[in-house]
Amino acid sequence: MEILRVEDLRFAYQISPDKQALDGVSFALERGDLLCVCGATGGGKSTLLKMLKRELTPLGKKSGRVLIGGKSPEEMSEHESAATVGYVMQRPEQQIVTDKVWHELAFGLENLAVPQKEIRRRVSEIAGYFGIESWFEMSTDELSGGQKQLLNLAAVMVMQPEILVLDEPTAQLDPIAASNFIATVVKLNRELALTVVIVEHRLEDIIPVSDKLLVLEDGKVVSFGDTRDCVGRLIGNERLLRSMPAAVRIYAATHDISKNTFPVKDTDEVKQGAPRTDTDMGKNSRLPLDVCEGRSYIENNFGNAIRSESVTDAEAPEGEYALEFKEVYLRYTKDGSDVLRGMDLRVRKGEIFCILGGNGAGKSTAVSAAAGLIRPYSGQIKVFGKKIKDYRGQELYRNCVAMLPQDVQTVFTEDSIDGRHPYDLSGGEQQLAALKIVLETEPRLLILDEPTKGIDVYAAEQMGKKLRELADSGVTVVIVTHDVEFAARLADRCALLFNGEITSCDRAKAFFSGNYFYTTAANRMTRGFYDGVVTSEDAVRLCRLNADKQTVR
Amino acid sequence: MKAFDSYNPIVLFVYFLTVTVISMFAFNPVMIAIALVSGFLSTLTLAREGCGRFFIYAAFIFIVTSAANPVFSHNGVTVLFVMNDNPVTLEAVLYGVAMGTLICAILMLMRIFTKIMTGDKMLYIMGSASPKLALLISMTFRFIPLFHRQAVKTERTQRALGRYTEENAIDTIRMKLKIFSMMTTWGLENGIVTADSMSARGYGTGRRTSFSVYRFRRTDAVLLAVLAVFAGTIAYLIATDAVKFSYYPKMSGIAHTPAAIVCYVLYGLMCMLPVMNELEEKIKWRYLESRILGSPIR
Repeated sequence: MEILRVEDLRFAYQISPDKQALDGVSFALERGDLLCVCGATGGGKSTLLKMLKRELTPLGKKSGRVLIGGKSPEEMSEHESAATVGYVMQRPEQQIVTDKVWHELAFGLENLAVPQKEIRRRVSEIAGYFGIESWFEMSTDELSGGQKQLLNLAAVMVMQPEILVLDEPTAQLDPIAASNFIATVVKLNRELALTVVIVEHRLEDIIPVSDKLLVLEDGKVVSFGDTRDCVGRLIGNERLLRSMPAAVRIYAATHDISKNTFPVKDTDEVKQGAPRTDTDMGKNSRLPLDVCEGRSYIENNFGNAIRSESVTDAEAPEGEYALEFKEVYLRYTKDGSDVLRGMDLRVRKGEIFCILGGNGAGKSTAVSAAAGLIRPYSGQIKVFGKKIKDYRGQELYRNCVAMLPQDVQTVFTEDSIDGRHPYDLSGGEQQLAALKIVLETEPRLLILDEPTKGIDVYAAEQMGKKLRELADSGVTVVIVTHDVEFAARLADRCALLFNGEITSCDRAKAFFSGNYFYTTAANRMTRGFYDGVVTSEDAVRLCRLNADKQTVR
Repeated sequence: MKAFDSYNPIVLFVYFLTVTVISMFAFNPVMIAIALVSGFLSTLTLAREGCGRFFIYAAFIFIVTSAANPVFSHNGVTVLFVMNDNPVTLEAVLYGVAMGTLICAILMLMRIFTKIMTGDKMLYIMGSASPKLALLISMTFRFIPLFHRQAVKTERTQRALGRYTEENAIDTIRMKLKIFSMMTTWGLENGIVTADSMSARGYGTGRRTSFSVYRFRRTDAVLLAVLAVFAGTIAYLIATDAVKFSYYPKMSGIAHTPAAIVCYVLYGLMCMLPVMNELEEKIKWRYLESRILGSPIR
């Protein structure tokens, strides 16, 4: 049954009536479809989602039609409209309205004047389904980011919506919480035949599980259809491909040689011994989307006669240390447990150093200590060879150390940046604006806490470029991040922080090749087949080298 | 879980209110004694934690009150001795003792009240008076820690940006003001998200219901009914002077008519209700436990 139909939807915001935020968008969804909407920031993704929810539709000029279950949102009663479309936004914290978990779950039903008894039944049911029982009576303030976002989802699901709309729900979450959240959404979709429309920055996890894909650029539909076909049509569009999963990027960069030069060796073909030609292959049926498919694509299409590139690693940078941790122990309360337990770390001048680690490993604590905000109770921290304790007054923060915090909104003291309020900027723009402010003191050591949180691939690339420039000009950059792909692309050296101490530290390539779980998708795809592959570009180069070799032979 | 505090908060509130009001009006020595004993026992069963220090404190209050009365009040006919030309009478001393005892008993009751009526329960009571108020309070309790955390984060960021000097008082004040203004912006801007989240879930579409995890069970109704009967009878008996007792000018005899005895018993039962409830629960559990241990599975 058709649940959602959008016909020639056009929209221009009241503040900029000349620019069409949506320009003739049309598509339709069946009940139970999981639609992923992608495209660059400012492409109209969020605007489109807001058109599906009457309460959130911004002021502006709108034409075209949206039909939900055959009805336009304007025709629905207020109660119907609130319940039919469930909407979860990016920031987990600000969406929570009440102080108790149980009250948050009941909030929507209270608004619809559902009787007590019915609320009790539905709330307990939803708490059971989402596994919220253990924190049902807790304050919403005590929850982790991942739990908060799950609560927001549950608080919307309790109203039994027909369509679930998610606007970058995992942008503020760490990778574990993010994949947990996506898994829950997929479970809802599969078990309840719930129609889902989701916008995501990071597509690695969501593309393989979505049924349909809608690609928007400048308010226009670039492509819409079944995920695999749709992704297939993007090949050749470099800009959009960059945000796609690693498997897709590798395929896009190598399919010409794999397809034209060699017949695909599917397992069936190998048995029959008859090479299949290109024509009788479904054009996109073998387009790999996830790590598993990507691996089988590489193994079946390319040999591994050449296992690694003969690139000589640049010499390890010599010289003085910009930041040193020596046996640092730190705890927040006297009776609490240690957050840092004998952490040792040496960062050389002029390098980009990434500290990776899970939640609660002490990453943020480590950077706060490096920035002199909290003091360890044992061990010492040296900045440019001088103990932090010995820096007097503002000396440490003048032309020396600067930190970009995780929440960049805490940086903006002024209400206007280039004529715009910082809160009106997109996530990526906010990050770059905050970085600019932080750099005003001309630091020699720049510390960044999760700089890629909540920003898209393009903004992350820009951020990376900027950081590389800084490093080339002699600034030492220390980054604490969850973002494995970002670290793999950018870092000179990486370290893994676990349970308050550094458990491994190596040059980026060696670091990620050595890890099994905590590594990039490209590395997982080629593990044991090629050596030393970290980024998808590495994988592409090796595929091409092997392809060339086979042709010569 | 304790038996008594699992009653519906409204019932508990009514219980504490009635017992306190009746205790304050019944100035009969028997009833005061009952109040003291039951207060003591209830403290031991329901609010044992840190009760030692509390008893010392209560004893101090008792001594001060009982000593103060005969110093200031010279009513009464039985003069014990004369101090600074003022007679100290037996009636005034006993009145002071009675007053001190009553204050101690009520202090104990209040302490148990604060132990049992947690913030959640008080909120629920206020909320049942007005659902709007309930939501407002709930949202405020949500926002305060959020705001506080953000303020701490902001201060730390500004410190790491070197904009926060601790050496200069004026700079510090200027920075605090700046942070306050940032926090205001932050609160307003992020409030928009909260408002969106509220309207997306149908807030403002009309009449609301108010949901609570506390239920009104049959046992709550029973307790409420029992309370009403007890309190009504006691109030009637007090009003009709069945347990009347006067200290001045000469102490009257303690009433022991059948009506007075009914009043004492009912009052005693009412005061001891939490203790009895607790004991009943303990015995029940012991019995259940022994059954479990004696089961053939073991």
